Amino acid sequence: MQEIQKARLPQLWEYLAKKAPLYLPQQEDGVINFAPWQEGARVKLESLNTVLPPKSIVFPQWETYLHFTQKARELKLTPTKEPEGSYILFGVRPCDVAGITVLDRVFLQDPVDVFYESRRRCTIISLACNEPDISCFCSAFGLEPGFAPAADIMLWDGDKFLLWQSLTEKGETLTHSLTDLLEVPTPAETESVQCLRETAATVQEQKWGLDGVKERAKDMFNAPIWDSLYRRCLGCGICTYLCPTCHCFDIGDFSRGERGERFRCWDSCMYKDFTLMASGENPRPTQKERVRQRFMHKLSYFPAQHGLYGCVGCGRCVRKCPVNIDITQVIKEAGGSISCA
Amino acid sequence: MKEIMQKMRAEAARVLSSGEVDLVLGWEKGDLWWQSYPVFIENEKKAELLTWDLFCVPNLAKYLLEEIWHKKRVALFFKGCDALGFNQLMQDKRVDREKAFIFAVPCSGLVDPQKVERAGLHQGLLRVERLGDELTFVYKDREKKTAAPWFYYDKCLTCRYPNPVVFDFMLGEPVPVNPRERFTAVKELEGQNVDARFQYWQRQFSRCIRCFACRNVCPACSCRECIFDLTSPRWLGKATELSENQFYHITRAFHMAGRCVDCGECARVCPVQIPLTSLNRKLIKDIDELYGPYDAGVDPQKVPPLVTFNPGDPAAFLESKGV
Repeated sequence: MQEIQKARLPQLWEYLAKKAPLYLPQQEDGVINFAPWQEGARVKLESLNTVLPPKSIVFPQWETYLHFTQKARELKLTPTKEPEGSYILFGVRPCDVAGITVLDRVFLQDPVDVFYESRRRCTIISLACNEPDISCFCSAFGLEPGFAPAADIMLWDGDKFLLWQSLTEKGETLTHSLTDLLEVPTPAETESVQCLRETAATVQEQKWGLDGVKERAKDMFNAPIWDSLYRRCLGCGICTYLCPTCHCFDIGDFSRGERGERFRCWDSCMYKDFTLMASGENPRPTQKERVRQRFMHKLSYFPAQHGLYGCVGCGRCVRKCPVNIDITQVIKEAGGSISCA
Repeated sequence: MKEIMQKMRAEAARVLSSGEVDLVLGWEKGDLWWQSYPVFIENEKKAELLTWDLFCVPNLAKYLLEEIWHKKRVALFFKGCDALGFNQLMQDKRVDREKAFIFAVPCSGLVDPQKVERAGLHQGLLRVERLGDELTFVYKDREKKTAAPWFYYDKCLTCRYPNPVVFDFMLGEPVPVNPRERFTAVKELEGQNVDARFQYWQRQFSRCIRCFACRNVCPACSCRECIFDLTSPRWLGKATELSENQFYHITRAFHMAGRCVDCGECARVCPVQIPLTSLNRKLIKDIDELYGPYDAGVDPQKVPPLVTFNPGDPAAFLESKGV
């Protein structure tokens, strides 16, 4: 284990940014999102969740993957170059790291999504949560606010310094290149990590028991909860777009005259045109079916297909839904138990 | 507020049991301190679910557009801003005044959870109460008292109609009207040169994720089919490219001109804090200056300035071009 003094972080960022594009949480106009570091960046490490999850970096909201030109009867297709994958994501919270591993299940299984795979070559430096928010519930899914097993490097906030532990070979290599900036912590500081991990886990007051939830969720297709829950839904896409695991996309074209480009972009199962077919038929005709789909996908379909829940408990949808539609209420309905510490 | 909440529950039970209405639309308390969300009550026994607290911010009027309620008589609770939205829906011939039974709830301001968070008062918070102009933040083992306006939504601080302008039954006493100047941000923007303004709005719109929450919550956005949802032709591409984002927001703002009731809901629900209030208020201010003061949603009988023509209407945009 090593550590870096917080006062030296700007030096670290400057150094890292020279090696590879460096994305970290920054504030602009009051909004904190992952953005490329540059001189004078307003880095906000202490904020818990960024508005958009780092999903927006590994799986951007839209990207062009093909250029085309059409002259007379000749159609020419030029695939876009694979995106750069050697960037660094710094300060990713453990729930968001887990969110990326959920995306991996979708995009890295056969047929592998080459754009995602390329972007996924990035290095992830995770920052443990010392004090999770009241709306955080990552522990419900067996995750730990104080540790992200899928990160390359793990950091813990020790007030004046960040404790630094590499978890992978990639993390180790990067760590080795930083000998000028990293220091050896005192044994007491090293020990404090355990304490930070435990405290973070206890601060998350609600203790969830999810035994059997995914099995029971399977039988919830006709449950009465959907009849009441959907009524207040505005049909906006906040919950899906802010979700670190939602990954549905659509494909569209920009074209002008003889040339154009084909892009893919996030899409939302909350929108009525999401399942609208060319014939005009819509298998999810009302908001009830759409709301049900989102929760069933997270709690039943995704676990059935991939063996893990499609929710990491980051709490973004809980915090940002304009009408407080709350996935934890659905989990309780599916038999999830909850007790306060 | 508790007294009004008791009245809400009693009145809701009364109108449901008497058969005056089929449905009551109000707010219900969630598990977390900031959660007060719309609830649909069809059985008088469920009237106890109703709540009235500092977080009952969603406007209930727009739910009347849902087809399942079209044939029903609905009772609903309005704050001042909600009533303006209802009047706009009425002016647009989208709701039927006769089918709605309106309870007015005068409102002296609601609490913005983001301001509570920014002040660092959110951790461990159980609930927030108000007595006069003072808020009490209640935690497990302590309390904190503070001046209420610090934590009100900006839109509440500039609210000019806290007392509903349309209702059948008033719950509680009208509250004093004491709005702050609402055009401050607009004037500040107007003072900048065109390049600075353009850059400012480009930066704002570039954050848009096209979740459409601003449109979906807006009481003046009531088209049966929205241009931005059309798939054939698809006027608005799905990529969140800056020019597409600009097209969306500017088109919507122009469609709101003379119809925006300044309820501020668009800015409240925006997850990336695009200052839509400034955009809409710029149009309100321009209309006020060009055609005389007009407040959408106050009087549905009044002819809105942009749907009529007077020979004396200013036409500076024509003259300056020398047409």
